[in-house]
Amino acid sequence: MAIVQLQDVSKAFDSKLAVDHLSFEIAKGSMFGLLGPNGSGKTSSIRMMIGMTMPDTGSVFLFGQPFDRRSVYRIGYLPEERGLYKKMKVIDQLVFLGELHGLDAVTASKRAHRWCERMEITEAIPKKTEELSKGMQQKIQFIAALLHEPELIIMDEPFSGLDPVNAALLQDTLLDLNRQGRTVLFSTHRMDQVEKLCDTICLIHRGRKVLAGAMQEIKARYPKNRVQMVFEGDPAFLNHPVIETAKNYNGMAEIKLRDGGDAQLLLMDAASRVRITRFEVMEPTLEEIFIENVGDRVDA
Amino acid sequence: MRNIWLIAKREYLERVRTRAFVISTLMIPLLMVAGIVASVLGAGHTKSTLHITVVSRDQQLALDLQKELLNSKPNPMMVDIISPGNPETKATIDSMLADKQIDGYLWITPAAHPGERPAFSYTPRSAADIATRAAITAALRTVLLRERLAHEGMVANDVDSLTEPVKVDTAQAGRNAETTSSYVAIYVLFFLMYMVILLYGMNVARSIIEEKTSRIFEILLATIRPEEMMAGKVIGVGSVGLTQVAVWMLTAVLLATGSWFQAIAGQSAHISLSAAQVIYFFIFFLLGYLLYSSVAAALGAIVNSEQELQQLNMFLVMPLAGCMFALGPVISNPSGTIARIISFIPFCTPLIMYLRISLAPPPAWEVALSIAGMIVTIYGVLWCASRIYRVGILMYGKRPNLSEIMRWLKYS
Repeated sequence: MAIVQLQDVSKAFDSKLAVDHLSFEIAKGSMFGLLGPNGSGKTSSIRMMIGMTMPDTGSVFLFGQPFDRRSVYRIGYLPEERGLYKKMKVIDQLVFLGELHGLDAVTASKRAHRWCERMEITEAIPKKTEELSKGMQQKIQFIAALLHEPELIIMDEPFSGLDPVNAALLQDTLLDLNRQGRTVLFSTHRMDQVEKLCDTICLIHRGRKVLAGAMQEIKARYPKNRVQMVFEGDPAFLNHPVIETAKNYNGMAEIKLRDGGDAQLLLMDAASRVRITRFEVMEPTLEEIFIENVGDRVDA
Repeated sequence: MRNIWLIAKREYLERVRTRAFVISTLMIPLLMVAGIVASVLGAGHTKSTLHITVVSRDQQLALDLQKELLNSKPNPMMVDIISPGNPETKATIDSMLADKQIDGYLWITPAAHPGERPAFSYTPRSAADIATRAAITAALRTVLLRERLAHEGMVANDVDSLTEPVKVDTAQAGRNAETTSSYVAIYVLFFLMYMVILLYGMNVARSIIEEKTSRIFEILLATIRPEEMMAGKVIGVGSVGLTQVAVWMLTAVLLATGSWFQAIAGQSAHISLSAAQVIYFFIFFLLGYLLYSSVAAALGAIVNSEQELQQLNMFLVMPLAGCMFALGPVISNPSGTIARIISFIPFCTPLIMYLRISLAPPPAWEVALSIAGMIVTIYGVLWCASRIYRVGILMYGKRPNLSEIMRWLKYS
């Protein structure tokens, strides 16, 4: 069943077309990546999904029905624009946001304590938000989005500004929630950050869909024509006929093969001429796939 | 409704718990008490009756003046007479004045030619004592008038009845009206509204700007409608103001009814208002407050910072000040066309309709209609404010001009 369904949705602000006839579906239980560069219409699409704005044309279905106010209790949303009440105590803040999502104060308070333990910020509970570090504030916003145990979790640029340790904690938590059957939507321009996480993606550019589908299928569609190798010896072998372009960084080479070029052949020839410490045939990254699809249409 | 309540509750509790609120709430009652204590202490040191000296060659004039000042209300004066007075007199009374034996002296120089008025010169100990000077001037006028009338051959009794002050009773259709009370009530309502709107109305705008600068609006707007947020803010922040004003008013009432206050005031400052007037007072005060708070919310929705808000401040105060100019025509003819039209302008309704009710009760349907008009306007202003807020914040993040505001109102 599709948790979210966008059908031919468009949205314009004055003369600028933010979302242009966009259609995609998010299946229940998936880890979905809505990817694209800055200003490609990711946030505008999310806002239409959860009824903050209405599409100019096209239709949006949430939990299998047209948007309904009561559905907001089933969504956990971490917006890109983060914010908390500065002067408010963390626990009051979490209870307030929990209540806004339909919880009663007691339940909200209990869950807030439990989540703070899990996110390792129990010492922040009685403090005011303005006394906390930025990373802690992010965790609190993260908790606020999950307190009411939503079926659909929407994270807009969730990892921006987080250090690697906390990013990993957040990642693990989201994977855990996904295993419990919750649907997670990531929206980010940092495609490398979610590449491992997402099972389904939709790449958008200038409000239009570039590419969508299961991650494995998409990757399989693109040839493994990149090789990274580390070697000792004469780099002259890089003139090999299967190589289209090669960059040599002092013993570390990034190689792009010709169409139909066999990496195995290159490995054999190279092995006879230099000493190889590493040889890896690379999958194309999402970023490369994106660039290949969008081509010179990418501005920034 | 639950969302409005949640927003209002948060705003209220967060504000009431701050130290600034507690201090400012307690400060005013403390100042009131301090003021009363100071005036009690001060009262012991001031002489209740003034003591002046009159120097005059015309003894009859001086005696008449003494009698008039002795009977003058509300503060009779003790008057010494020096007649006719000699060259050393001035030095003597100047030193008496310096020693605080007397509060002032009046020097009457006889007219140089018969038929002319003598010259009067009053020297008070304190130049600020305007009330005494006014009392003496009034007494002199009466005395001179009597003298002149007697001189023209009028009998003393006739003179008295002629100079008797005129009393005018004000009667209102159907009942005896305490017009003074009505005026006092309308001025209290006006200043209360003006003060409360200035003090707290802007807080509504500020709390909306706070949401924008702290960027929390997006989480909120994901769960609640902007209308609910606006209404919650107006009610929550508004209640904070009402709490504070209620504490102040209560203190003032308690102090004013205390017997010691009455003792100081000398007489009870009695204001009589009918029950209906009191009820209408609260209704119009609350509705007026809500209406102007909604306007403040709209201003907060338009701007992005406090500095920008300052520039729009006047839009909040102007309609209220405009009402002040309308008071004249309404008082002179409370049931006239102008008064009726003005009382139906929602921004003027709270003051002008209340004034009309106090002066000459309009038909019930007019009152009902004006109240309905205000409620509709409050709703309309909030609706516009939430539109501007939502469109502005979600799509642009800049301050709109008028034509953009008009266009935004049409967005879905």
